[in-house]
Amino acid sequence: MTSESRPPDPVPEGPEQGQVVELPAASRVADIAIDELEMIYAFIYSRVGNRADAEDLTQQVAMKAIPRLRQGAPASAVRGYLFATARSVLGGFWSTRLGLSESELHDDLAMAMPQAGYSEESVERVRRILEQLSDNYRRVLELRFLHGYSLKEVAVEMRSTVGAVKVMQLRALRAAAKVRLDG
Amino acid sequence: MGERPENRVDRIVSGLLHGRRLRLRGGDAEEKEAVVMAARLAAARQGPQRMSPAFRKRLVKQLEAATPPESWMTRRAALVAGLGVVAGAVGGGLLGRALEGSGSQPPATAGHVVRPTNGRWVDVGALADFTPGQARIVKAGAVGAFVTRDGDSVSAVSSICSDLPCELWWDSSQHTLVCPCHNRTFTAQGSSIGTYRLPSLDVVQVRVRDGRVEVLGV
Repeated sequence: MTSESRPPDPVPEGPEQGQVVELPAASRVADIAIDELEMIYAFIYSRVGNRADAEDLTQQVAMKAIPRLRQGAPASAVRGYLFATARSVLGGFWSTRLGLSESELHDDLAMAMPQAGYSEESVERVRRILEQLSDNYRRVLELRFLHGYSLKEVAVEMRSTVGAVKVMQLRALRAAAKVRLDG
Repeated sequence: MGERPENRVDRIVSGLLHGRRLRLRGGDAEEKEAVVMAARLAAARQGPQRMSPAFRKRLVKQLEAATPPESWMTRRAALVAGLGVVAGAVGGGLLGRALEGSGSQPPATAGHVVRPTNGRWVDVGALADFTPGQARIVKAGAVGAFVTRDGDSVSAVSSICSDLPCELWWDSSQHTLVCPCHNRTFTAQGSSIGTYRLPSLDVVQVRVRDGRVEVLGV
C-alpha cells in the first residue's frame, strides 16, 4: 500500500469528470512554460555562476524552444527538449566566450539531464570534486568560493602570501577541472 | 597582454564572486578549464537558484509577445498533455483540465498515508516546542516528516517530495515546503502549489500524548 509507486510526472488536479473547463488565458500559459524554465534557469546558473548570464541564456532557451514544442509531447520530451536547447545555448556561450568547441565542452555540458535535481546535483557534484583534491587545493577553493574569502583573507588563513594563494588557486582550479566523477 | 595566468584567472574569479557577468578577454581561453570550473564553484556557493520575480515577469512578456495568442493555446495543449493530463475526450467527455485556478489555494488533497510495517510511535518533542503554523522537520527512525501544530493538534507530512526523491525544506517566510530539486512548493498540509500540481505529499501519522508529539516511524 505504502510502497505504491508514483508516476514520475506531475499529476494536475482537475475538475470532476465530464465538467467542461475553460482553457486558461494566454498569460496563464506563459506561467506554465515559466515553471519549466525555472529548472532551466537553475541548470544554467549552475554552469555559469552568475545571474546576468544565466538570465540571458535562459531567455535564449525560452525563445528558441517554447515556440517549437509540439502538441501532445510527453513531459519527458518537453523537459528533454528544453534541456537539450539549454545545453546547446550553453555550448554557444562558452564557445563564444572562450573559443571552445562544443566537443571540448563535452564532459561538462553533454552530461545527461540530472535525475535528482539540476541544482542539488550540481552542488553535490562540486562537493565530490573538492573531495578528490589535495588538502591545500581543496582548502583554497573552499575558502575562496564557498566561504567567499578574499585573497588576503585566504593568505592569512593559510599562512601564505597573496601571490602564492593566487598561484595555488589557479592550480587548484586546473586540478579540479581534471577530476572525473563516475556518474 | 602579458597578464600572468594566475592574475588572469583571479580577475575572473573575483568577478564571479562579486556576482558579475563573465567578461573574458582574448587569451583567457588558455585557462578555459579553470574558468569553467570557477563558474561552477561560484554557482555552488550560491546554492539552488530561482529566477528573480522581475526576470520572470519579463520573460512572460517576451514569450507572449513572441507568438500570437492562438499559438499559446497550442503550446498550452502541448504542455498540458506533456504534463500528464488527459487532454481530449476520453470515453464520453473528459476534457482537458485546468492546471491552475484563479490563484486561490488548491483544494487539500490527501496523499497516501505512510503505514510502516512494524511501525512504532517515536517521541519527537514537546508540543510546546512546536510553533503554531510553522512546519518543523522531525525524524521518527527512518521516517522523516514535517510536523505542523495547529493549537493543540498536530499534522504531519512526509519530508520527501512527491515527485523527486529530495528532502524538502520549510520556507518560513512563505509558509511553504520547498523541494530544492525543482523548486516545487507544497502547503504545510502537503498540497502542491503552483502552476501545475504534483501529487500531494504522503501523510505521516502523528499524535499528541501527554503534551508530547509522537510520530509513527520505524
